[in-house]
Amino acid sequence: MSEAAPHTVVDSRGSACPGPITDLARAYRRSKVGDVIELWATDPGVKGDVRAWAAKTKNEVVAVDDTSDKIVSTLRILRR
Amino acid sequence: MKRILIVGGGTGGTMLANRLSPRDFEVTLISASTEHMFQPSLLYVAFSHASANIARDERRLLPRHVRFVQETVATVDLKGRAVTTQSGARFDYDFVVLATGTDTDTGQTPGLDGINARFGDYHSSVAQAQKLSASLDAFRGGTIALGQAGPICKCPPSPVEGILLIDRLLRKKSLREKSRLVFFTPYPRAYPAEPINEVVEPVMKERGIEIMPFFDVDRIDAEKRTITSIEGDTITYDLPIVIPPFVGANIAYQPTDVLDEDRFIKTDKQTLLVEGFDNAFAIGDCTNIPTSKAGVEAHLEAQIVGKRLNGVPATFDGRTNCPMDLGDGRGTFVIGSFDAPVVKLRPNRLFHLMKVMFGLSYWLTLKGWLDPMIDLFFMLTKPRARAAAHGPKPKQA
Repeated sequence: MSEAAPHTVVDSRGSACPGPITDLARAYRRSKVGDVIELWATDPGVKGDVRAWAAKTKNEVVAVDDTSDKIVSTLRILRR
Repeated sequence: MKRILIVGGGTGGTMLANRLSPRDFEVTLISASTEHMFQPSLLYVAFSHASANIARDERRLLPRHVRFVQETVATVDLKGRAVTTQSGARFDYDFVVLATGTDTDTGQTPGLDGINARFGDYHSSVAQAQKLSASLDAFRGGTIALGQAGPICKCPPSPVEGILLIDRLLRKKSLREKSRLVFFTPYPRAYPAEPINEVVEPVMKERGIEIMPFFDVDRIDAEKRTITSIEGDTITYDLPIVIPPFVGANIAYQPTDVLDEDRFIKTDKQTLLVEGFDNAFAIGDCTNIPTSKAGVEAHLEAQIVGKRLNGVPATFDGRTNCPMDLGDGRGTFVIGSFDAPVVKLRPNRLFHLMKVMFGLSYWLTLKGWLDPMIDLFFMLTKPRARAAAHGPKPKQA
């Protein structure tokens, strides 16, 4: 058994409307403190949204990687 | 002759049934109700006292060769290729098309069931929309709080449309100065897609509507008249209008893992095939495809599945085309696709007129009579693909 925190991949690639932030909000509802959510998106607006969302909800942006064909935002849930 | 079983008599199911030739297919459509509701009309039932163009008899919207069965589906066995209903009837198929829509789930949010039973809502039924209309008629001033309780909202423009139509209603009744309008949303801004937000947020601010972003509803307290968010913010209301969370239809699937946590069907976003099956499609609101839950998706997806059943390898491009009423005689459209970002369209009266026309022509559209005209519209308004959407991006310094 792995001791790593639950790691959820949310595939929001192609979502333009309503957009990847809606998929993140949905995953957050199902998360627990300590979980890691990895959000895949192609909408460039996701980068700013993920940071603003984490600041408001007091969760942590571990990384935002846009060097591949998708933008991968990794978030750690610190607060529910 | 291929046996096609369509589960659901909403926009997607009805459109598909009208596009399958009796020469090639034996088509059965199962729906729990004989009534086909034009769902966008609920907005106008609730906020404009609309009473026309709301519902028709489903049987009159289907071609004669389609067998209509009024039953509530209980199970879908994708491996056994059979659907059973609550009465115990069994339907075998060669191809199944799931067009089961969404259900509202007030139970997810403590307190929501009670306030929606009392004040109404505009996403579940005509009776609920009429109740909300009556609640607004009785409103004499105070705080109206409107927003969505779940992260998914069927018809994403509808929350903004709702608050703008309330603003108009209160101005007409000379109650606007006695009222505070609060719009809450779990997203970073009033409309989740930024280009559209750039259009609607200035309009909302100009009309004095307060926007509370990042307000993800946790619970509602009917006694204290408060809505509290997961983030810890609270709104005190006089009239709450809370759009319930949406989930997929309450049907037991075999295998169970074709459904996600909210009972939406795991569907390939291009082929519209249910994950793991080559003879089962899902269209419209019931899928987990990352696009709007709106009639236009059901329309386009029904066309794609119709083509695929006829052996034409069509794929869905995620096209959205949602009209949005700004409550002042103007409208805009939310247009985008998997490869194209949402376009910012300056609101005008023509777009509003187009929204009205789409509504009036809905029943003819279901039957396919306007297909050449509507196909042309979709072609002319096709959004341009995002540059390098699928190619590697240059590294940032």
